[in-house]
Amino acid sequence: MRKFIPFLLKSAAILLVAMILLDILYTVVYLQSDSRSKIDYLYQSKNKNYDVVFLGSSRVNNHFIPKIFNDRGYKTFNFGITRSRLEESALMLELMLERNYHIKTLVLQVDLNINSNDHSEAIRSLFMPNLHVSKTIRSYYQNIPEYYALLCIPFYRYMHYDARIGFREAFNAAIHKKTNVLDANGFHALMTNERPMVPADLSKYYPKRNKGYETIKKICKQHHIRLIALTTPMCKETINRTYFNHLHEIYPEILRFEDSVTDDKYFSTCGHMNRDGAELFTKIVFQSLFNTKK
Amino acid sequence: MFFNSLHFAVFLPIVFILYWFVGHKSKINQNYILILASYYFYSCWDWRFLFLLVFSTLLDYVSAMKIEKSQTNKERKMWLWTCVSINVGFLGIFKYYNFFATSFAQMLHSFGVTSSPILLKLILPVGISFYTFHGLSYIIDIYYKRIKAERNFVDYSLFVCYFPLLVAGPIERATHLLPQVKVRRKFNFNKAQEGIYQIVWGLVKKVVIADSCANYANEIFNHYTTMNSLSLLLGSVYFAFQIYGDFSGYSDIALGTSKLFGIDLLKNFNYPYFSRDIAEFWRKWHISLSSWFRDYLYIPLGGSKGNKLFQVRNTFIIFLVSGFWHGANWTFLAWGFINALYFMPLLLFNRNRKHVDTLVLKANVEGVRTFLNILFTFALTCLAWVFFRSKTLTDALLYLKRMATDWHFSSQYFSIERYSEELVYLLIIFVWVEWQTRHKIEPISGKYSWVKLGFCLASILALGVFSDYKEFIYFQF
Repeated sequence: MRKFIPFLLKSAAILLVAMILLDILYTVVYLQSDSRSKIDYLYQSKNKNYDVVFLGSSRVNNHFIPKIFNDRGYKTFNFGITRSRLEESALMLELMLERNYHIKTLVLQVDLNINSNDHSEAIRSLFMPNLHVSKTIRSYYQNIPEYYALLCIPFYRYMHYDARIGFREAFNAAIHKKTNVLDANGFHALMTNERPMVPADLSKYYPKRNKGYETIKKICKQHHIRLIALTTPMCKETINRTYFNHLHEIYPEILRFEDSVTDDKYFSTCGHMNRDGAELFTKIVFQSLFNTKK
Repeated sequence: MFFNSLHFAVFLPIVFILYWFVGHKSKINQNYILILASYYFYSCWDWRFLFLLVFSTLLDYVSAMKIEKSQTNKERKMWLWTCVSINVGFLGIFKYYNFFATSFAQMLHSFGVTSSPILLKLILPVGISFYTFHGLSYIIDIYYKRIKAERNFVDYSLFVCYFPLLVAGPIERATHLLPQVKVRRKFNFNKAQEGIYQIVWGLVKKVVIADSCANYANEIFNHYTTMNSLSLLLGSVYFAFQIYGDFSGYSDIALGTSKLFGIDLLKNFNYPYFSRDIAEFWRKWHISLSSWFRDYLYIPLGGSKGNKLFQVRNTFIIFLVSGFWHGANWTFLAWGFINALYFMPLLLFNRNRKHVDTLVLKANVEGVRTFLNILFTFALTCLAWVFFRSKTLTDALLYLKRMATDWHFSSQYFSIERYSEELVYLLIIFVWVEWQTRHKIEPISGKYSWVKLGFCLASILALGVFSDYKEFIYFQF
C-alpha cells in the first residue's frame, strides 16, 4: 500500500495535468476561430454597426435574407441559429452589447419558441469556450446547476458538451475548416420542397410568458433598440393555428406574419420555407416594417 | 450504477478504503464489506430485485448441500432438477415468457386461429442471465462431484453477488472464485497497479471506441433504408467495434476492479478480432460464456464424441442456445444459427482446432494468408453482427440486401452532423494498438507506462463520448 498511494497520486496528477493542458489547448483553438459558427463570429467581432439584426431559431436562419435589406441600404445580419431558443437569443443580444455592437432594430422571431422557458443544450454548449473570458456569459449562466463544475474543473465543459465542442469540432476549428453559416450574412437557404407536406401539429404547444423574451425586451428598452417581435410563416396544413391567437393574447405586441406566406410551393417543410419562400417573406417584412425609412 | 459513471467513481474508492483500511484484518470482514457493497451496487438499479438475488443465492446454497447429502442418485437428481428448474424458470419468466407467448400467438394466427396472449409487464432484472448461470455452474459441479458444497453462507453469497461481475460477468466458476474468497486477501501492489491499468484501458475501449461507434452505428442501423452500400458496410464494422469495445471494456473494468480487492476473475476476451477462423474467434470471444456452454451443455450432450451428424447436432444446439441466451428475439437465434453455419466447414473437415497456437504474422506468403484469414473471419463476424443489432429479422435481411445491391460508395452526411467514414481513422489506430499489445492483458504496463497512461487518460478526456451514449449493451442480457 505504501507504493500504491504514491502511484495513485501520480496517476491523479497526470489526469489533472492532462485536463489543464487540454482545456488550454481547446480554449486557445476556439478563441482563434471566427468562422465556424455565428457565436464564434460574434465573439471575435467588435464595434459593429447594424441597422437590422435578426435573432431566433432556424425559422430565422432559413427565413430572412439580409441581402434584400442590404441592397436597400440597411446593414443587416441574420444571427438566427437552428435549435436556438429565446434564452440563447437573449444571451446573443447581451454578447452583442458586450462586443460594443450598435444595433438600431432587432427583429426577433417569437412564435413556437415561446412555449418553452427551457434552454437549448446544443446551443448553450457553443458559448462554453468563452466562459472564462466573457463576463456576460459567466453572469448569464451563474445560476445553472453545473455552473461551478463548468467554470472550475478544467476541461469539464468540453467533456460535458463533447457532442458540440469536443475533439471533432476543436480539430475542425484548429485547421480553420470553414462552414457555410456566414456565407450569406448568416442566411441559410433550404432548397428542398417536401411533398406531400407533412402538417405541423401545434396542439401540443402552449404559449406562455417567456423569460428570454422578457429579458430581450428589457435590454432593448435600456439600449434604445427598436424591437420588432414577429411570428414567421407556417404552411396552411398546420394543425391548431389558434395557437397564434393564444400567443397574441399573452403578448399583443407580437406582429403576426404566420399567414403572410401560405402556398406549399414556398415551403421546404411545414415549419420552414425554402429559398423562394424566404425571399418572398423577407420582402413582405421589409415592405411592411422598413420601407418608409430610407 | 455504471462503471463509467461518477457514482461508481465515488463508490469504488469508498469500498477500497473500507476494504483495505477497516476490514483488512480478517477474511470475514473483507467478505462482509464486499457483500454489502455488492448489494448496494445492485440495488442502485432496482432494490426490489435484491430479493430475487438473495433468493437465488439461498436456493443454490441449500440445493448444493442437499445434493451432497443425498444418499441415492435419484435424490441427487431430484435436487439438481428442482434447483435448475427454479433458476431457469425465473429466467424464463422474466426474459422469455413474452417472446414465447407472442410467437405462439403468431403461429396460431398463421393457421387462422386468432388469440390474444396474456403478456407480463415485467422489467428484466439486470444481470439475471449472468448470476443464474453463475449459480447453475456451481450446482452442476456439485452434482458431478467436481467440488464440495460450500458450507459458509457468507463466502457463498460473495461468490454469487461479487459486484465487479454481478451484472455482466465474467461468468465465474466455483472452482476458480470460491477458493479466493475463502482466504484473507493481502494487498499486492503489482496486482493493484495492473488493475488500475486495466480499468483505464477498459474505459478507453468503452467511452472512446464503443460509445463513438455507437453514435454512428445507431444512426446507420436506425436509418438503413436511406443509407448507401458504403455506410451500411461501415455500420456493420462500427457495430462490431461497438460491441467489442463495450463488452471487453466492461470486462476489463470488472477484472481491473476485482484486482484492486486482490481477487482474480476469469479472462473474458483475448483479442477475438485477430482470429484466423471462426472456431478461434469463439475461443477468444466472451470466453466465460463459451466455456460455460462447452462444459455444461456441449460435453454433457456428447461433445465431439460420436459421428459427424451427432457433432453437427451438438454444435447447432450450443450456438442456438448461446444466441437465445442473449435475448428473446429471433434475431439472436439467427445470429447463433449463422455462427453455427460458419463453424460447419471447420467441423466437417476437422479444422476447428487448427489455430490454437499463438498468432504470428511473418512477412512472407504465409503471413499474407494469415492476414487474409483474419480479414475474412472479421468480415464473417460483421455480417453476423447485423442480425444481432437489427430489431427484426426483416430489418437484418433488408439491411444486407441494400448493402449488397445499392452499390453506391460515396461518403454520406448523417443527421447527427457527421460523415459516414470519419471514425475509420480512430478505429485504425485502435486496431494498431491492440495488435502491438496482443500478447498482454492491457497496453499500458511495461516501458514508458507513465507516458502511455497519460495518453490513455488524455484520449478518454478528449475523445470520449460523455453526453450521448453511456449504457453497456450486455446489461440488457
